[in-house]
Amino acid sequence: MSLLIGQFAQAQEGDYQLGLGYKAHEKFTLGGYFSTEFSQGEDLKEFVLDDVALLAYGNLSENISFLAEIESVGFYSYDFETNSSDTNTRPAIERFYADYKFSDYATFRVGKQITPIGYWNLQPINVLRETTSSPRLSREMFPKFVTGLQVSGFTPLHESIRYSVYLQNTGDMDAKYVNIAVDQHYGFTLEKTLSESWSIGGSAGRFREINQGSTRYFQLNSRFDKGPYTVLLEGIVDYHTAKLLPKVKSSSIYTQFEYRFRPRHAVIARAESFRDDRISLHEKIGVLGYSYRPQFPISLKLEYQWHADSDNNRLVGSFSVLF
Amino acid sequence: MRILLAYVSLLVSLTAHSADYAVVMSSTSAVQTMGADKIRDIFLKKRSFEGSGRVVPVNPLGSDPVRIEFEMQILNMGRDEINRYWVNNHFQGVPPPTTQASLQSVKRFIESVEGAIGYLPIEMVDSNLKIIHEF
Repeated sequence: MSLLIGQFAQAQEGDYQLGLGYKAHEKFTLGGYFSTEFSQGEDLKEFVLDDVALLAYGNLSENISFLAEIESVGFYSYDFETNSSDTNTRPAIERFYADYKFSDYATFRVGKQITPIGYWNLQPINVLRETTSSPRLSREMFPKFVTGLQVSGFTPLHESIRYSVYLQNTGDMDAKYVNIAVDQHYGFTLEKTLSESWSIGGSAGRFREINQGSTRYFQLNSRFDKGPYTVLLEGIVDYHTAKLLPKVKSSSIYTQFEYRFRPRHAVIARAESFRDDRISLHEKIGVLGYSYRPQFPISLKLEYQWHADSDNNRLVGSFSVLF
Repeated sequence: MRILLAYVSLLVSLTAHSADYAVVMSSTSAVQTMGADKIRDIFLKKRSFEGSGRVVPVNPLGSDPVRIEFEMQILNMGRDEINRYWVNNHFQGVPPPTTQASLQSVKRFIESVEGAIGYLPIEMVDSNLKIIHEF
């Protein structure tokens, strides 16, 4: 006779494991993360205790699971130029959703969730990245969150391809930290695994900013992992439409090379171009960084950023932990 | 010539590699065989179903030699890479597969829990279990 999984005790590898959270119950896990950041550049010298967050997730039944995350961004900051500090302890809902796993071809997700576009947005927190900064592409070209419905899974026609379709037709569940405030957003993503080392993907969609115009986006990405090397390439084009104004375009592309020269040590180089015709901006950014992880959930990073406008050049260091 | 052929045949049989471990499910499972890629996806929790039924992966403790062999041969990942994978998944709300304290417990779990899938030394497999992949 078959038993339910809950009737078996989980072996004791520890109820708490750093980076895997506290398993309060077989079906319920608690965790969180924080990051600290130090930046120094022209007229800039700042320390920030950023991204203080708690998350909880678990299974409500065999096919239904949930995740909840609250976060305070800019929890504490100190500006050494003006000798002033600031605090923001009010948390906001970062994610709050339930999943219904119907099959490997269709999982339904309802609630506030990360928009499944590209690589950076799916791992948006400092500790999971290999550079403290993320490309502007992942911060400014599409809404980072969807409050609505997503369906995802393997495509029935070919299991090397995964898809996501997402739809939002309301305001954000908690708009405190959203990068673009929208009341409508829909799109899809496809991701094809070409080999164990190489995958490619792309997304297309449209969003409408509250009290502003609408934007269509088209994005492509490619990731190559082989031994100690990882190469990322990603590009996106946005077409913006607003009443009484001509259609304008913004675009961004970056490539990043990562070399893990010893276990837990990596060097990273990234080149990025960002163009926004709405404000006649053309920015070019180069990043050279070093990452050290005494354990994977603990990250120490240092990077130097070169900007086309050299006044924005800066040195950035960070310490972050996923617990 | 016959003696030479017999000698070669004996050498081949002596050197032929036989699997030491097996990926197994309950003998009552409808699953007959499974490829390494699908097993990998199940233990990385990229898949949760086989046919119309749910599958429940189970691991022995991380220090168990069987698990280390499984990770190298089927997952094709080192321990650092696996740790990294599950830390990333912790943020996504996906915990690693359940673990059992001994191989005997893994065996009992597979026999008793519907859809359970695990791996054992091949000599532990008896009529209560069904081999769906050898490695």
